Amino acid sequence: MSHTEHDAPILRTSTRRVGKMLAIIIGIQIVGGLIFFMHYDFWNSYLPIAGKLQEQGAVTGGATQGQATGKTVNVSLKFVESPDFKTYAFNALSGPDQNPEIHASVGDKIVFDVTNAGKSFHAFAITDSKEGTGPAIDGTVIGTADNPMKPGAKGEITFVPAKAGEYFYICAVPGHRELGMVGKIEVTEASSGGASGATVAPTGNKVEFSLSFVMSSDFKDYAFNTLPGQPGHNPDIKVKSGDTVTIHVKNDSKSFHSFGIVTDPDNPTNVLWNSALKSADNPMKPGETGDVTFVAGSSGTYHYICTVPGHATLGMDGNFIVE
Amino acid sequence: MVLELQKPRPIWQIMFSTHHTDVAYLYIVTGLAFLIMAGVLALIIRTHLFWPGQGVLISDSVTFNRMFTVHGTTMLFLFALPFAAGVGNYLVPLMVRYKDMAYPKLNAVAFWMNPVGGALIWLGFADVTWMAYAPYSVIRAPGPAADMWIFGLKIIGVSSILSSINFIVTILKCKHPDLPLRKVPLFAWSMLIVSIMTLVAMPTFAAALVMLLTDRLGVSGFFNPSLGGDPIAYLHLFWFTFHPEVYIFLLPAIGMMYELIPRFSRKPLFSTGSGVFAFVLLGMIGFASWGHHMYSTGMDFTTKTVFMIGTLAAVPASGMHVFNFLATMWGGRIKFAAPMKFAVGGIALFFSAGAGGVLNTAMPLDFLTHGTYWVVGHMHLFLTGTIAFGFIAMMYYIFPLMTGRMYSEKWASVQFILMMWGTVQLFFTQHVLGLEGMPRRIYDYPAEFTSWTQGNQIATIGAWILGASFVIFIAQLIYYSAKGKEANMDDPFGLGGKYYYPYQAKTPHHIGY
Repeated sequence: MSHTEHDAPILRTSTRRVGKMLAIIIGIQIVGGLIFFMHYDFWNSYLPIAGKLQEQGAVTGGATQGQATGKTVNVSLKFVESPDFKTYAFNALSGPDQNPEIHASVGDKIVFDVTNAGKSFHAFAITDSKEGTGPAIDGTVIGTADNPMKPGAKGEITFVPAKAGEYFYICAVPGHRELGMVGKIEVTEASSGGASGATVAPTGNKVEFSLSFVMSSDFKDYAFNTLPGQPGHNPDIKVKSGDTVTIHVKNDSKSFHSFGIVTDPDNPTNVLWNSALKSADNPMKPGETGDVTFVAGSSGTYHYICTVPGHATLGMDGNFIVE
Repeated sequence: MVLELQKPRPIWQIMFSTHHTDVAYLYIVTGLAFLIMAGVLALIIRTHLFWPGQGVLISDSVTFNRMFTVHGTTMLFLFALPFAAGVGNYLVPLMVRYKDMAYPKLNAVAFWMNPVGGALIWLGFADVTWMAYAPYSVIRAPGPAADMWIFGLKIIGVSSILSSINFIVTILKCKHPDLPLRKVPLFAWSMLIVSIMTLVAMPTFAAALVMLLTDRLGVSGFFNPSLGGDPIAYLHLFWFTFHPEVYIFLLPAIGMMYELIPRFSRKPLFSTGSGVFAFVLLGMIGFASWGHHMYSTGMDFTTKTVFMIGTLAAVPASGMHVFNFLATMWGGRIKFAAPMKFAVGGIALFFSAGAGGVLNTAMPLDFLTHGTYWVVGHMHLFLTGTIAFGFIAMMYYIFPLMTGRMYSEKWASVQFILMMWGTVQLFFTQHVLGLEGMPRRIYDYPAEFTSWTQGNQIATIGAWILGASFVIFIAQLIYYSAKGKEANMDDPFGLGGKYYYPYQAKTPHHIGY
């Protein structure tokens, strides 16, 4: 039995066939490379939904900042140390300038201008914790213990307290706060005039209003009661602090809407005083009516809006004035 | 390709053929194409780490993460798996004396999933590492890259399940009735064991990928701690698949060495039975050792001990293979043609990589080396030193079968020397770097650690040498497939005697394998 006899000749690969194969492979790679590099940033562009949900929800660790509604307070701070490195402080080692106490109200914007005037490394942070190095409030950090501010380094942050209480500005390098680098920030409730959104006890006085959602037939103009340019469009509502307000809402448009009172019409999720009627997830259908009753809170100028995202910007935004 | 080439066909006929040699050819060419692409990434990564503080080649750490993710994913799933399946497609039907694979269309479908999965992985270029550990992969890994990675791996997983079913049915049910299972050659045995392991292991990872995807979409929280899930659960599911997967990568390479060593030693295999036994044993204990990847996740002592013993049980089985090889070579008239050089080199490096593996499984040492370059060195020494050596040996062996031409023995020797040298210099040095404390996957390192700088420079030079060996490999495959001298298809390596080259399997009276 011989293995050397073949009925057909052995056909061997030729240069042309190898060339064709290489052309196919390299062609695919070039086309793929073009698609890839033309979209290089897109492929890595957005967070997974799970990450987005986490960012919207409760942030663990430090407290968050509030909405800036009040006045701006400028504070200038310097890290200083005694020559023997035994005493650490802000601004001065002793006297009235040492670790100045800052007074502000909820909603005030406090701008910190921080300089490291010492010879050591420091890190700036604001915390509501009474001891230790944190957790810091989001967005109030200049440098960290791992990556501190070098001597002479400067930085600026803003802090908008979300609620009243005692806060501390500190050096976040472990041990420095205990050696004296800590100052107090006293935050009080917003003074009248600013729209703080705080709740107040009902006075028993009842008032009623009627509003309806309207839209132009081309779906371009959104408003309350009448379309823009006509009388009675987005009327101002005036109530007294503590009034029990009832609003009869009717959806006279062909789209879905929901009602609520907010401080900032750009942020429709933060509805005040349980004044929400339905929500963006479960809105009022066309023709639906509903009533909402709530107690108007502390005085200021607020907005009644459609809380479906985008609708307030398109015009469903009226003034709600509490006196 | 040559095997069934009665007359020259247009290339598209090969591409859409379902014949086992054509599918095998496509598998191998695809595997080698992805090997080049992932190898280029590896060289960029290594060159970037040559000096501390470099930003020229890779400008930011995210790009660095994306590169090593795609490098790892490609080498494992788009080179190692398809290449082994390709060689299996060529040889298994011949070895069991059947005309084709059991399900030819399924075979082609399984192949064509690989380019699709590969395209998803390469276009997205995710930064999740090849393990995609939660919670990073759930809440932070940016999309759509990470989602494309998940879908790509899902497709490749389905592909390997389909080809496993095909191999199992081909070997067990389509085997020639005169051929008892114990006489089936050991390479076919390795493909059988690997296919069964894939069927057992892969569904777990497939489930984990779906859970990862729904977690990313925010509708479930299996691995998302803020929704009450546990990231460690992902590690368990992942390593339950991917520790056996280590053997799924390794066993075909061992099977290829079983094919080559008796032929080039011109002696029958020392013991078929012990080879089969060791394959089956490795196939089973591969499932008893996944926990050794996770010692530092806070397992209790008893669990760790169980996994440590389960891992050590792989040592005798691996030893049986090595002794079988050595006993086969002992007293043989060995011909050191390129396939034999790479097979023997692979055995030597298998031994050193295995020794490192025994150190890893010892709990106290594992805690020292966990997450350092030691692990990188160990894993790469296994994958390059054993698996790639076995694959390259087989590539040279079936080169005449695929093209009808001979490669250049001189250039193959040059490649062997460079590859052996580069592998040792690169991956042994990475072990040392790990002991110096260099963590894995770092983008940059401080210049003050001069021992890290030195180690990285030695390793990078090793990587260039290794890269040069692969350039020679690919260049000579391309050149000699067109210009090589015509092979004597009955005995291309001039071995003489009664050892048949697979080409003869096509003659009807052949009783070869």
